[in-house]
Amino acid sequence: MQRDVGSLPLAPALRARLFTAGFQTVQELLETGPCGLSREIGISKEEALELLQVVRQECHGDVARTAAGSGASRKCTALELLEEEQAQGFIITFCSALDNILGGGVQLTKITEVCGAPGVGKTQLCMQLAVDVQIPECFGGVAGEAVFIDTEGSFIVDRVADIAAACVQHCHLIAEAHQEEDHLKALETFSVESILSHIYYFRCRDYIELLAQVYLLPDFLSEHSKVRLVVVDGIAFPFRHDFEDLSLRTRLLNGLAQQLIIIANDHKSAVVLTNQMTTRIGQSQSTLVPALGESWGHAATVRLIFHWDNSQRLATLYKSPSQKESTIPYHITSHGFRDVQPPAVTHSAEGAEMNPRKRPRREEEK
Amino acid sequence: MVVLRAGLCPGLTEEMIQLLRANSIQTVVDFVSSDLEDIAQKCSLSYKALVAVRRVLLAQFSAFPANGADLYEEIKSSTAILPTGSPSLDQLLDSGLYTGEVTELMGAPGSGKTQVCLGIAATVSLSLKQHILFLDSTGGFTASRLHQMLRAEEEEEQLEALQRIQVVRVFDIYEMLRALQELRERLCQQVVSSMEPLKIVVIDSVSAVIYPLLGGKQSEGLAIMMQLARELKTLAREFSLAVVVTNQVTRDSSTGPPKPALGRSWSFVPSTRVLLASKEVTLEKATTQRIASLAKSPRQAVGIQVELDIGSGDVTPTERL
Repeated sequence: MQRDVGSLPLAPALRARLFTAGFQTVQELLETGPCGLSREIGISKEEALELLQVVRQECHGDVARTAAGSGASRKCTALELLEEEQAQGFIITFCSALDNILGGGVQLTKITEVCGAPGVGKTQLCMQLAVDVQIPECFGGVAGEAVFIDTEGSFIVDRVADIAAACVQHCHLIAEAHQEEDHLKALETFSVESILSHIYYFRCRDYIELLAQVYLLPDFLSEHSKVRLVVVDGIAFPFRHDFEDLSLRTRLLNGLAQQLIIIANDHKSAVVLTNQMTTRIGQSQSTLVPALGESWGHAATVRLIFHWDNSQRLATLYKSPSQKESTIPYHITSHGFRDVQPPAVTHSAEGAEMNPRKRPRREEEK
Repeated sequence: MVVLRAGLCPGLTEEMIQLLRANSIQTVVDFVSSDLEDIAQKCSLSYKALVAVRRVLLAQFSAFPANGADLYEEIKSSTAILPTGSPSLDQLLDSGLYTGEVTELMGAPGSGKTQVCLGIAATVSLSLKQHILFLDSTGGFTASRLHQMLRAEEEEEQLEALQRIQVVRVFDIYEMLRALQELRERLCQQVVSSMEPLKIVVIDSVSAVIYPLLGGKQSEGLAIMMQLARELKTLAREFSLAVVVTNQVTRDSSTGPPKPALGRSWSFVPSTRVLLASKEVTLEKATTQRIASLAKSPRQAVGIQVELDIGSGDVTPTERL
């Protein structure tokens, strides 16, 4: 094992001592043994033992992980990944145009970021997804539970109850149309109460609570293994005010992003984040761009930007590894997040040219 | 700074080491650079034995000089140029990715770095029939997009091509170092058994795992970053691999020009740097056109620009070089 000592996850002081003593590779460390180590570096025998344990764990880490079978194995061929992806479901949003441009819906094991100005519908989408993730598999859902981390306090339970009722209604209509055994059986357990009881709600008031919550999330998820969606509503809010040290903010945000990707990957769940917009002032004009800076843009795998065009809400897919950029209109009704309704129901993906003959905006109930 | 140990070379015994240590000679460097007559007197060891030990240590630990002609011959025979799947990008890179070097793709979010990496993986796997290692640290690797790129081929070839691409998900710097270490061990064994040829390693992205460590008062992040840099460069040189990494861009102010992330220390690592940018900056006009410009290259003039289309990305035989 010719691995360099500098590449092991050790405390800096310990690493410095190893270097001055002249140790370079892992092989030398293992050969010396704990007594020799404690003598040469000047640490206690227990610390030397701990050090060797870390070293052995690192070197045989892969074997240990596959033996314990924890989470998904992280090494595979593209073919296996393709099969996995094709077998995975999507979380539908009930807006078929949005599902189309996303390639079927919100993807599991990826981070999706939704950015938008205030009032455009980000929290509505999050609440809709928290309900939609619980749709039983026979209706085309993933039958999972949801974790909702709220930093802005915009989660209104009554609204979620309305959305859930509409969803249950929708499933009832499908079941009546198809009249199949498993549809009716699934409907017995699918009700507004069961939907609400499977949304786990956390309220975080500042960035420290948010970081702590995300770091504790893997333990929570291993107990509740049916969770397929983690929503963080308002990841920009705790980081945007009261932060003097911007480089610390970048570091924390990047660490948070990596932690969320690990959660998404290991627990096969989708992570949805909402972000605010800020203004970038250019030479002649100013544009609205997502907040939290350039480096945050790399954190999310899929980025959706919601914006207004006069009184029509539009969603643009801005960044995606597998879908093209496109823009579609959507609509928020009392039932939740929906398509813009044309007179004849069509399944077109680029519906921006449709003239929506719908109720005007002031009649919407939020 | 290798510590003197018994058995490091014949003639170096435990008592000798103890005597040397008593005179504050602990490492090979100390030994080789000290005056042997002096040591022979102080430690009461035989001068001949010390000279013999020094000769062996020098032979073992010093670097061998090589002359330019030999180096040239060696590079000529071991360097390969791998196509990226897009003729305009190949033209920018002086006909492709060179093995033995680190090439960097940088760009803003959504500029197409992952798409270009997927295109490279598809091309090398399909047309050159070689294995690829893809280290994914952002979760952006989508096998269905890769499949879409290969859809012009027959089923059989598609499956084989997909099987030759190995994907490792590493979300942490230590996991990445471990994955590179495993690659190194595998390649050492491969030299002996000569099974599957691996010529290219793609890392998407390197800044995602390093950013959480950089900055602030701790200099640990910089040390780890340099560790990674050294590992990548030695892998590229020793095993003749082409290493492709992706990086972010930052701006000095909100209107300044984009510059590569990870700072000046990292800028010495890649020999070639390509900046990817979108043509349009508005939300309404969605396009798959990108502009790739050369920011650093040992062979071409800096500032050349070509246009890329990341939308089609179909790997067809006519696109091979």
